[in-house]
Amino acid sequence: MTMAINKKLLSLVLLVSSLSSIASASFSDPDSDSDLTNELVSLRSNSESGVIHLDDHGISKFLISSPTPRPYSILVFFDATQLHSKTELRLQELRREFGLVSATFLANNNGSDLNKLFFCEIEFSRSQSSFQRFGVNALPHIRLVTASTAKLSDESGQMDQSDFARLAESMAEFVEQRTKLTVGPIQRPPFLSKAQISVIVAMIVIATPFVIKRILRGETLLHDHRLWLSGAIFIYFFSVAGTMHNIIRKMPMFLQDRNDPNKLVFFYQGSGMQLGAEGFAVGFLYTVVGLLLAFVTNVLVRVRNLNVQRLVMLVALVVSSWAVKQVVYLDNWKTGYGIHPYWPSSWQ
Amino acid sequence: MAAVESLPPGTPSAMRNAFGTVLSALILVLIGVLAFSIRLFSVIKYESVIHEFDPYFNYRVTQFLSKNGIYEFWNWFDDRTWYPLGRVIGGTVYPGLTLTAGTIWWVLNSINIPLSVETVCVFTAPVFSAFASWATYLLTKEVKGSGAGLAAAALLAMVPSYISRSVAGSYDNEAVAIFALIFTFYLYIKTLNTGSLFYATLNAIAYFYMVCSWGGYTFIINLIPMHVLLCIVTGRYSPRLYIAYAPLVVLGTLLAALVPVVGFNAVLTSEHFASFLVFIIIHVVALVYYIKGILTPKMFKVAVTLVVSIGLVVCLIVVAVLVALVASSPTGGWSGRSLSLLDPTYASKYIPIIASVSEHQPPTWPSYFMDINVLAFLVPAGIIACFSPLSDASSFVVLYIVMSVYFSGVMVRLMLVLAPAACIMSGIALSQAFDVFTGSIKYQLSSKSKDNAEDNTSTKNAPKDDASSGKTDKGEEVSKERSSKKGKKKEREPAEKLSVKSKIVKKKALVLPLEASIVALLLLIMLGAFYVIHCVWAAAEAYSAPSIVLTSQSHDGLHVFDDFRESYAWLSHNTDVDDKVASWWDYGYQTTAMANRTVIVDNNTWNNTHIATVGTAMSSPEKAAWEIFNSLDVKYVLVVFGGVIGYPSDDINKFLWMVRIGGGEFPHIKEADYLRDGQYRIDSEATPTMLNCLMYKLCYYRFVETDGKGYDRVRRTEIGKKYFKLTHFEEVFTSHHWMVRIYKLKPQKNRIRGRVKKLKQKTSSGVSSKSVKKNPWM
Repeated sequence: MTMAINKKLLSLVLLVSSLSSIASASFSDPDSDSDLTNELVSLRSNSESGVIHLDDHGISKFLISSPTPRPYSILVFFDATQLHSKTELRLQELRREFGLVSATFLANNNGSDLNKLFFCEIEFSRSQSSFQRFGVNALPHIRLVTASTAKLSDESGQMDQSDFARLAESMAEFVEQRTKLTVGPIQRPPFLSKAQISVIVAMIVIATPFVIKRILRGETLLHDHRLWLSGAIFIYFFSVAGTMHNIIRKMPMFLQDRNDPNKLVFFYQGSGMQLGAEGFAVGFLYTVVGLLLAFVTNVLVRVRNLNVQRLVMLVALVVSSWAVKQVVYLDNWKTGYGIHPYWPSSWQ
Repeated sequence: MAAVESLPPGTPSAMRNAFGTVLSALILVLIGVLAFSIRLFSVIKYESVIHEFDPYFNYRVTQFLSKNGIYEFWNWFDDRTWYPLGRVIGGTVYPGLTLTAGTIWWVLNSINIPLSVETVCVFTAPVFSAFASWATYLLTKEVKGSGAGLAAAALLAMVPSYISRSVAGSYDNEAVAIFALIFTFYLYIKTLNTGSLFYATLNAIAYFYMVCSWGGYTFIINLIPMHVLLCIVTGRYSPRLYIAYAPLVVLGTLLAALVPVVGFNAVLTSEHFASFLVFIIIHVVALVYYIKGILTPKMFKVAVTLVVSIGLVVCLIVVAVLVALVASSPTGGWSGRSLSLLDPTYASKYIPIIASVSEHQPPTWPSYFMDINVLAFLVPAGIIACFSPLSDASSFVVLYIVMSVYFSGVMVRLMLVLAPAACIMSGIALSQAFDVFTGSIKYQLSSKSKDNAEDNTSTKNAPKDDASSGKTDKGEEVSKERSSKKGKKKEREPAEKLSVKSKIVKKKALVLPLEASIVALLLLIMLGAFYVIHCVWAAAEAYSAPSIVLTSQSHDGLHVFDDFRESYAWLSHNTDVDDKVASWWDYGYQTTAMANRTVIVDNNTWNNTHIATVGTAMSSPEKAAWEIFNSLDVKYVLVVFGGVIGYPSDDINKFLWMVRIGGGEFPHIKEADYLRDGQYRIDSEATPTMLNCLMYKLCYYRFVETDGKGYDRVRRTEIGKKYFKLTHFEEVFTSHHWMVRIYKLKPQKNRIRGRVKKLKQKTSSGVSSKSVKKNPWM
């Protein structure tokens, strides 16, 4: 996947020209240092969850022209609005998690440590030259510029794939490891805010008498057998399709063929893993046979016309045997098991 | 069948009825034989041994029980495991399986059949599978009549998912628990259908047996309340429901609290709260119905507002108390395993020790095909059959299949709970389909013969009667539910007979074309035949390996790898009886049972810190590991290594979990240090931390001498570090195929020299002593 993004971004960025070498003053001036820190603090207090939005100007001001060692480290999140549509990059999700780490850092630190690390983001369309300076040509990319980092193209501060695999928690670990600052346990906002919860509880309390009244009269949706039936069949389909596996493992619906990017892979060989579309296809095959059988034994027997019965049964039988055959074939192909009967040895 | 029984004996239908009863009894016996014998492949192909890991513990406990008696067993404190903590066995095991096998052994011995404890243990599971299929017959019979019952029992006798846990030798809790589960459900349905307190009491006792046997009893104590709630909500409340539920909760909870491992959990943990909540609701509802019965409709309207408001207040108070209780415990009162069922992503995030077990992974679609095979196709038809008509009993099995199929989607292990439900549903579907198809064939054949000989009325009557026999059964079942008193029923009989007659007249039309029915019947039989082939294959090839003895088939014949027993025997013959052996927890039970040596951790993963300590030692460099092991009095370290013969579930493949679990408690172990660019490798690209950790060294020590290159046949690479010496450990035993390697901790070096060396090291390397805790025991 990253390969494709690489190419895309390369074409956008064109060639990275030679990096402008930055001559930084070798002495540090305490006054300007504290000025810069104060400015960052004020920027931070104005931004949501403490993530400062920097542009080319800000980068040159806080990172390039400031002398090393700086009194602060900066963790930069590289964002590109035009790539938000590519869900496999998870840019927006990562950006949210980045904000969480920042908010947690702000909440858990006070005093001197608070001003040693700033969380910033830069956006590609508005700060292309900064992307070039950092040498970033693939996203997602998060880079820590420590107090002593002199050259921005120095990639040692880059966060690995594995460091944001577990989202905010692993990002925080990375930060703690590199900066020796504590971020603390990530404080995720609760799924529902307190106001929402109280509203819901109030609504439930108000609704209960009415619901009970209707239940006593026996005229709710719950008394509709068809609803229960379709619910049961749906859950069955949902489970045998291995959807929980897809949710827990976050499997994609299909993959791109490695050899031929235009070809899509819908079926994955090997029993430990499955793709989303594959699961649904087989789940459908599992379910359709039973549904047809039930249709024949419950509905079709009531039909009077013999020829209609013959036709429908023919279709049902053909579809069912095709579905069973497909599943058997797919299973043998996927797992590689050779299921065979045992005949008496004299028969062979 | 009551309608038929009332006919005078000697009539053809009474004869048919008697013949049917004898035939079903015979079929049930054959099903029992089938269930038992299909599980004997492991004994025939290998030998009569206990399988895998947990069964060895159960075997050891059973041995103790049969030798020392039940009181000693109840108070048994085992000092051979979890050294130095030990484990209270009597209070921490589910005693059902052990007591069952112990009782069987005792009974057999007292009637002078001298079987060894091991033999009894090996064959407990197959015997109970036969019981389980009979219980399935009873349960399905209650739901949809005996035809469906026989089909379901036959399917359950060979369902691969259940075979996987109950082959001869797999002496584990599930072996008896599945029987207990189905039997409890049967008694619940029976009580629900009859409203008899006798069955309700039996139900509580069966539930008690289930609680004794398996932690999965929480499934019952949540499923039955859910069903009760469902009945109430859909307006199916009846006194029979009350009798089926209330005694179960009261008696069942009291009995469950008697089992030491459950104890007060039966009233304190959230898994059980649903049953109490429903217990309150059913009382409120019962009260409402009672008042409705004694008041005029107008008065009732007034009363209902009063009762509902009082009931609501009571409910709210109870809910508030429950919420407060739940909130006061850290995990919300839920155990990790149950939580990961509700929030499937929970375990993978927070509890590596649960996520690490392969049977806790979510299954993919081939698992369903492997474990319930063609039943997966038939279940939807069974669900629909249960809805026409929907009774209390059939709504229960629908709820059962829905819940179990969802849970099996979260954890592959719960496929075992799904299997009986799938068998019941498929049995119902198959029996309905056979009913319809054979009925149509019979009807049309007879109508053809009727054209030939119109005056012969008896031939006309018989097939009609037969075609509708399935329907009459069902109709009777429904009527059984409606009226519990027998007297009432007798009054009804004439009316019922009439309705049956009218049904027969109507049923004439409910037929399918002859040739299509024949084809459909053949296809169904082929489907069944495929199921049998698959099940026999699965029993013979996939699920019979004891995993303590391995075999492999190659061009020059069969190879047997008996390294495990070889090395456990070595341990028991060559080490002192009180020596401590450290290994990863998988091999703990086997070491205590077969080598009779003390282990540090075992498969009962109750103490995460202890396991993390061993994991940390295995992932540390030699010296640090030696210090940890020495502080635990460990004399020998046992590792399992499959690189020589290509045995994939060895310690190197499990190693990342050791790192993760170790790192979870001792943060200086970081998974990233063992991975090169996120990849786990052991070749020359491996990280130095990986190449220097104890596990790597113990597995690959002298490995290069086997083939000169050090080619690992599991990882399919040449190893990264081939020539090295061990400083703190010495090799004492390596099994024939190198699968098990045992090392001895070298004795402590001269103290002064050691200290000087340490100082020297410190000054030369200049590493400041870190404040991170390296060894938890110092």
